[in-house]
Amino acid sequence: MKNQFKYHKTLLFLGFTVAFMISCQEDDSPQLEEVGEMIVKFENYVGSQPLQLDDEGSTDYSYTNANGQAFNITRFGYYISHVKLEGPSGEIFIDEMKVSANEAELKGYYRVVQGDEDTYNVHLKNIPAGQYNRIIFTLGVEEDGVIEGAVGGILDRAAGAWFWNWNSGFINILLEGHSPASPRDANTIKLHVGGWKDIPAEGGQSQRFFNNNVEISLPFDATVRVNQTLRPSPHIHMDLMKWIADVNLEMVNDVHSPAAGRALTPRLVEAFYVDHTHQ
Amino acid sequence: MAANLKLPNQGRIFPALVFLLSGILACTELADPEGVQRYRFENPPHFPEPTYTFGNNSVSEKGFKLGKALFFDPRLSRDGSVACANCHIQAHAFADSWLHPFSIGVDDRKGTRNAPPLFNLAFQKEFFWDGGVTHLDFTPITAIESPVEMDEHFGNVVQKLRVHRDYPERFEDAFGIRKITGPYVLHALSQFMVMMVSADSRYDRWVLGDPSALDAEEVEGLTLFRKHCGSCHTEPLFSDLSYRNNGIQADIIDFGREIITEQQEDRGKFKVPSLRNIAVTSPYMHNAAFRTLEEVLDHYSSGVNYHTTLDPALVTKGRPGIPLDLAEKQKIITFLEALTDSSFLKNPLFFQSDEM
Ligand code: HEC
Ligand code: HEC
Repeated sequence: MKNQFKYHKTLLFLGFTVAFMISCQEDDSPQLEEVGEMIVKFENYVGSQPLQLDDEGSTDYSYTNANGQAFNITRFGYYISHVKLEGPSGEIFIDEMKVSANEAELKGYYRVVQGDEDTYNVHLKNIPAGQYNRIIFTLGVEEDGVIEGAVGGILDRAAGAWFWNWNSGFINILLEGHSPASPRDANTIKLHVGGWKDIPAEGGQSQRFFNNNVEISLPFDATVRVNQTLRPSPHIHMDLMKWIADVNLEMVNDVHSPAAGRALTPRLVEAFYVDHTHQ
Repeated sequence: MAANLKLPNQGRIFPALVFLLSGILACTELADPEGVQRYRFENPPHFPEPTYTFGNNSVSEKGFKLGKALFFDPRLSRDGSVACANCHIQAHAFADSWLHPFSIGVDDRKGTRNAPPLFNLAFQKEFFWDGGVTHLDFTPITAIESPVEMDEHFGNVVQKLRVHRDYPERFEDAFGIRKITGPYVLHALSQFMVMMVSADSRYDRWVLGDPSALDAEEVEGLTLFRKHCGSCHTEPLFSDLSYRNNGIQADIIDFGREIITEQQEDRGKFKVPSLRNIAVTSPYMHNAAFRTLEEVLDHYSSGVNYHTTLDPALVTKGRPGIPLDLAEKQKIITFLEALTDSSFLKNPLFFQSDEM
C-alpha cells in the first residue's frame, strides 16, 4: 500500500512536469542542418512570345492555334502543390504541405495567376544545402487539399479560390478567352480543368470521377547549388501552345467538369520546361 | 465502452490524470465547464464513428452560437430575404415545410429539389441529393451561391459580415481571428450543424435495451422494414449512404448522381435518404412526389418505374416493386413513426436566440 502510494506520487509529479513541458515549451530546438532557399519563377508563354492577356470581351485575337483558329486569352493560371527537389547524389527536399483555415498556416500550395506578378514566384524555404538537378510538382490541388474541409488563403472560395461548389474540388488550371471559332455567347472559351479522385472501374461498372492532377517532373538546365548564401532561381516556362495548340475550339470551348477536362490533361506534362537558372 | 473500463485504484489514478490534464491545459484558455458539456459533440453509442473532421474544427460554445446566428441570418442571401432557416425548419427536422415542396429562394424562385432534413450530418460522407459536395464545410457555399436559393457570392457574404456591428468581434471571440475569412464562416456553420444529432427516438431506446419502447406492432413493422427496406435504409443511420434509383421518375428528368460522376450507369440515382424523423418531413423524395407515407409505400409496392438503372433490390421475380399487402404497409408505417425524435425536434439548443 505504502509503495503504491509512493508510486502514484511519483506519477503525479512526473505527469505534472511532462504536462508543463508539453504545454509551455517554446520550440527552440537548435538548427543542426544547413538550409537554404530557392525561388522558382513561372513564366507563361504562347509559343515564343510571353503571354499577354486581353480584356474580357476583346475581339483582338493575338494568337492562332494549329487548326488556324484565332483566339485571345483573358484569364489564365494554375495551382502548384507537392513541390519536390532531387539531387544527383540522392539529395531530396519535400516542400511541407499543410491545410488550415488560418491563411498563415497554409503551406505548400501556390497559385500562379497571369497578370499578378507576385504570384509568379514560388519561394521554397528550408531546403537542405546541396545540389539539385530536378524539380517535381503537382499541377493542381490533390485530395489532401479537399478532404479536410474549409481551408484559407488561396484555397478560400470567398477570397477567389478556383473552387467548384456543386462538385467539390479545385480547378487545377484555368484558361478563359475568346475565339471566333467558338459558337458560345460572346465567342467565349472557358477551359476549367479539375478533378482529384478516381473510382476505378470494377464489377462491370465504368470508372467514376477522374483525377486530373498531373505530376510534372523537370530536369534543371544545370545542377543548381543551394546553401545559406546561394539562393538559385530556376525559371520555368509554360508554353500554352504545347498544351492547347491542337484543341479544336469549335468543339472544346466550355470545360467545367472532371470528365470533360480529362482529354486536356495529358499534354500539360509537356507544356512545362526549365528554361534557365539564375544561380 | 469507456464506462465499462475498470481501473484499479481509480481513486488515486484519477486525480493524477486530472492533474496531468490540467497541466496540459494550463497554457490554453479554459472554457466554462457547463458550456463544455452542453456544446460538445457526443457520439451516440450505437452510431458509427463520425466522418466530420473535428480535428480541424472542434465544437465550442462560441463557435456553435456564432454558427446558429449565421444559420438564422438572411444577410447571407443576395437581397437579405432568405436565411438557411427559411428552408431548414427545426420542427420538420430541419427540412422545409410541406407548404414548399420545392424550397423558395430569393425573388420567390423555386428550386427543383426538395430540401432534405438536416441531422446526423457528422456521419455522412457526401451531401446533397446527388452527393456532389464532399465535405459538410462546403455545403453552405452551394446554398449561398445557388441562383434558386440565396443567389449570393460567398465572397460578398464574408464582406457583409466584416462590416457588421457585431460579427467581427464574435469571430474574434470564437476563433481568435482579427479578420473574418471564408473558412471560419464555414467552420461556424458546421459547428452548428454537426450538433444536430438525432438518436433518441423510441426505436433508439429499444435498440439500446428498453424492450418497452416499441409495442408489438412496431416491432413487427421493424422486422418487415429490415426485410424489405433495410438493404438501402440501413440502421442505425437508416441509409447506407449509397446512390440508387428507386424508380421514382417515370421519365428521368433529374439525372441525379450522373451529374456528378458523369456516368450513364448512375442516371436517376440519388443518395439513399435517412428515414429518421420521416413522419415530420413530408413531402417525400428528391422531387417531392408524395405527401404521405401511404403514398410512399404504395410506390414501393406498385408504382416503381422500370429503368435500366433501377436498383435490383426493387425488382421481384422480374417485375419492378416489392410486394406488400395493406397490413404489412400499415405496420411499416407504424414503425416509421417510431423514428420521430421529439427531443431533437424540440431541443432548445437550436432555437433562434436573440443574442444579436
Ligand atoms: C431556398 C431554400 C434553401 C436555403 C435558403 C438553404 N437551403 Fe440547404 N438545401 C436546400 C435544398 C433544396 C437542398 C437539396 C439540394 C440538392 O440536393 O440539390 C439543400 C441541402 C442542404 C444540405 C445537404 C443535406 C444533405 O443531407 O445532403 C445542407 C447541409 C444544407 N442544405 C445546409 C444549408 C445551409 C447551411 C444554408 C444556409 C447557408 C442553407 N442550406 C440554405 C434548400 C435550401
Ligand atoms: C434499392 C434501395 C431502396 C430500398 C430497398 C428502399 N428504398 Fe426508400 N429510398 C431509396 C432512395 C434512393 C430514395 C430517394 C429517392 C429519390 O428521392 O429519388 C428513397 C426514399 C425513400 C423515402 C423518402 C425519404 C425522404 O426524405 O424524402 C421513404 C419514406 C422511403 N424511401 C421509404 C422506404 C421504405 C418504407 C422501403 C421499404 C418498403 C424502402 N424505402 C426501400 C432507396 C431505397
